[in-house]
Amino acid sequence: MIRRFTAVLAGAAMLLSAAACGAKETPPSTPGTPDKVTAGVVAIVDVAPIYLGKQKGFFTEQNIDLTLQTAQGGAAVVPAVAAGTYQFGFSNSISVLVAHTNGVPIKAIASGNGTTGNATADFSGLVVKDPAITSPKALVGKKVATNTLKNIVDTSIKELVKRDGGDPAAVSLVELAFPDMVGALDTNKVDAIFVVEPFLSAAKAKGWKVIGSFAALDPAMCVALYVTSQALAQSNPDLVARFTTAMKKSLAYAESHPDEVRAILGSYTQIAENVRQGMTLPKWPADINRASLDKLADLIVANGLTSKKPDVAAVVS
Amino acid sequence: MTSALRRAAVFFALPITLLAIWWFASAGSTDFLMPPLAKILEVFPETWSRHRLTHDVAPSLIRLAVGFAGALLIGIGAGVVIGSSRVVRLFAEPVLEFLRAIPPPALVPIFILVAGIDNVMKVLVIISGCVWPIVLNTVEGVRGADPVLAETCRSYRIGEMLRLRMFVLRSASPQIVTGARQALSIGIILMVISEMKAASEGLGFTIREFQTGYQFPQMWSGVLLLGLIGVVLSLLFRVAENRVLVWYHGQRAAARVSR
Repeated sequence: MIRRFTAVLAGAAMLLSAAACGAKETPPSTPGTPDKVTAGVVAIVDVAPIYLGKQKGFFTEQNIDLTLQTAQGGAAVVPAVAAGTYQFGFSNSISVLVAHTNGVPIKAIASGNGTTGNATADFSGLVVKDPAITSPKALVGKKVATNTLKNIVDTSIKELVKRDGGDPAAVSLVELAFPDMVGALDTNKVDAIFVVEPFLSAAKAKGWKVIGSFAALDPAMCVALYVTSQALAQSNPDLVARFTTAMKKSLAYAESHPDEVRAILGSYTQIAENVRQGMTLPKWPADINRASLDKLADLIVANGLTSKKPDVAAVVS
Repeated sequence: MTSALRRAAVFFALPITLLAIWWFASAGSTDFLMPPLAKILEVFPETWSRHRLTHDVAPSLIRLAVGFAGALLIGIGAGVVIGSSRVVRLFAEPVLEFLRAIPPPALVPIFILVAGIDNVMKVLVIISGCVWPIVLNTVEGVRGADPVLAETCRSYRIGEMLRLRMFVLRSASPQIVTGARQALSIGIILMVISEMKAASEGLGFTIREFQTGYQFPQMWSGVLLLGLIGVVLSLLFRVAENRVLVWYHGQRAAARVSR
């Protein structure tokens, strides 16, 4: 009885704090003073453009005073954006579509990053150590590491297995943070890992084999998106438009200046200089690739992540 | 009969009141994080289907049982050794205090290194948290044994095993049970925590999966289920306690009457 009471009490406390969070609104812009905004990002290669754009002053140009805050994973960023803790955030496309379909009030405002277009030289990779495993189908009954459950990595692993003729339900997915994955495969705690750069370089350096990637599913996959809350999009559309403009400029700049990308990575990650020089960078298209999101929406339904198909037009409109 | 009814009424009064408050306070909630209780209860049966119960809940409970049993064995064993000797106690005390203060969730990455990511790691996490209240209470229980009875055992040259079973453990058992009760609630928490990292099945894993899949009503139904498991386990614990401590409760009742 005591425990039940505590559980309900904790629930009530969360209710109150959630209500308090929900009440947090960004004040409307005042002319002349820059808008102070916080964006939640994940400290991986994918978000290099926003760091670069901030450094180059693309956000200041738009009268935005941007603070970047790193979160554990994109799945955690989305609720924080919806609740108003961050005004903007970066998350993988699957998490964004699933969240929107399940009623989380967010919308996508800019493209995050995309695959390289080359299935065998992507910035992501499904990596195995055992030479007997030559294709994703062989992962049936095996343990495979994903960084988050029910996100783009998890879904891509299942889809790669399915397209190769295996039963994705028979793959045992284990949640491990990207930095822990190479070690876990090295000590045989898992049979395969799905990593992105720079961990992919570390895995390749061990002589392990890549048997799949995001690009293998879709050469032009829209891997991630920048999002804001529907509340902010309604209350301050001007701010959101300016953020999108700055973001697009940052993406285009990053796409055409890979050397500066490799340099700025050192400012927010622990990636060593030589690894930064050698690793494969993702593509940073300036516009959201709706066709790719449509394909991801189909994958979401096919893999049972949501019961109804995500409404891509409503997410990106 | 009426007293049983009254006890049931008292037992359920507060939970029902709180659920009612939750029901009405959350009714019509549009906050995605806090769905209405009606919605949570609606998804409860489909969420916790037979498949989930056998594939996720049962493995969790088995790990909890194994971990709790392991903690009892280790905790009582170490507690008796430490409690019986003043020298050992003085030696062990600083280390005990040090180890006890380490939060088991912080040990998860280390356990992963040592024991992998399978059942062994999860059971170790449960043991590492449950063992402390049992050790410390056993030590106190063993120390607090009646010195006259201890002398008597010695005078009658009662064998070690018999003395341990009939005197040391028996007289320490009220405190051991107190420690075990604290350990049980810690165990439930750690059962969930051990599955939130590097798991592929289990109750904690499922709740985490709902969280990252933005299925908040399902996530809350898992939290409710955890609470229910807590209630059931504490009731089971009370039954076991009444068995083990029947002599003690009888003694106390007799003492009350004679006073």
